[in-house]
Amino acid sequence: MNPFGIGFAYTIASAAASEGGGGGNPIAIDYTYFSQILSFLILVWILKKFAWKPLMDMMEKRRQTIEDNLAHAENERKEAERIRQEYQADMLKARQEAQAIIEKATKNSEDRSSEILAEARKETEKMKHAALADIERERDKAIADVRDQVVDMSIAVAEKIIQQRLDMKGQEALIEQFIQEVGDRPC
Amino acid sequence: MHEIITWQVGTGTVHAKTLIMTWIAIVLLLIFVFLGVRNLTSGKPGKLQNVLEWVVDFVRKLISDNMDYSKGAPLLSYLVTLIMFIFFSNMLGLIPNFVEPFFKHVETAKLNEILGEATLMSPTADINTTLALATLTIILVIALGIKHKGGRYFHHFIEPHPVFLPIHLIDILAKPMTLAFRLFGNIYAGEVLISVILLLPGLAVFGGGIIPMPVWLGFSIFIGAIQSFVFTVLTIVYIAQAVASDHS
Repeated sequence: MNPFGIGFAYTIASAAASEGGGGGNPIAIDYTYFSQILSFLILVWILKKFAWKPLMDMMEKRRQTIEDNLAHAENERKEAERIRQEYQADMLKARQEAQAIIEKATKNSEDRSSEILAEARKETEKMKHAALADIERERDKAIADVRDQVVDMSIAVAEKIIQQRLDMKGQEALIEQFIQEVGDRPC
Repeated sequence: MHEIITWQVGTGTVHAKTLIMTWIAIVLLLIFVFLGVRNLTSGKPGKLQNVLEWVVDFVRKLISDNMDYSKGAPLLSYLVTLIMFIFFSNMLGLIPNFVEPFFKHVETAKLNEILGEATLMSPTADINTTLALATLTIILVIALGIKHKGGRYFHHFIEPHPVFLPIHLIDILAKPMTLAFRLFGNIYAGEVLISVILLLPGLAVFGGGIIPMPVWLGFSIFIGAIQSFVFTVLTIVYIAQAVASDHS
């Protein structure tokens, strides 16, 4: 055996011997037992009252704070989302309104232009009608004048013929026919 | 290794070293916790406050994983104290005893013997401490069982048949026993091995003592943390079993 092995074995043996010889059985129960129960209970009481209770209260408070903060943040987020949607809706509405205004203006101007056009057209039509009516009237007047003159001339011609040839009884039939023809002719 | 030094109290004795170490652990725990809750804020917590809040949240999660949280919530303070006290106790045995020279000649209350070793001692390396905590656990189990189920709590002792009564009685005794001995055994064994490493003679001190000590201390920190966790979880589980509402 090497020296170390011998030394180690001796050490354990001597330790065991001193254990058995000097101190006796290590498992010895006496009043220490009650003393230990009492000291531990007192320790529990002191620590509970002065350490664990405040510590746990503080942890609970922190938990509460964090919970509140989270809830608050969630509320803020919801609020922000709501405002965003509100803005979006507003913007959409504004855009739609602008579109409507533009459309309305376009339509108005179109209406107006077509109205102006129609009015102009009507005006010209009216002027044309007036002009035509004037022309008609002038023509009628002219025709009437012509007819008057023709009648006058015819009468004059007839007077002349009658003056020259009235005595010529032979011409009677001719005159009659003439008159007939003049009378039938439309003026 | 820890010789049991006793003080005479009335007709009985108490383990002086265990008591002194318990007080040291309690004072350290109180200093740690009160430094943490000194400037409590619900805003940005300080480093120590953060640690404490982490512990509270950790235990809270353990409770809500194992039982109806509304039933377990009143236990939160107790369980947070439990896990931190056991952890601080477990760590205390790993701390070198720097005050040994000052108490070498103080005979009062055997302080020279109590503080005469190379390291401090874990209060949980004494079966009285672990059994005290386990007793509190089983008292809580029974008390909360009765509180939440009334007389029906005792009905589970004779389920599924009265023949099983002895098994249930053994169960309710075994629970605190296993709790106490598991914690005690782990921590006591760790301290025994620390003493053994410190006793390595001659060359081995340089060849063997310097290397194994940090390794074992690191492992002991791990064990101490795990055991405080296990004790707390088992307490929660036992209470959860007792208060769980019937499936009917």
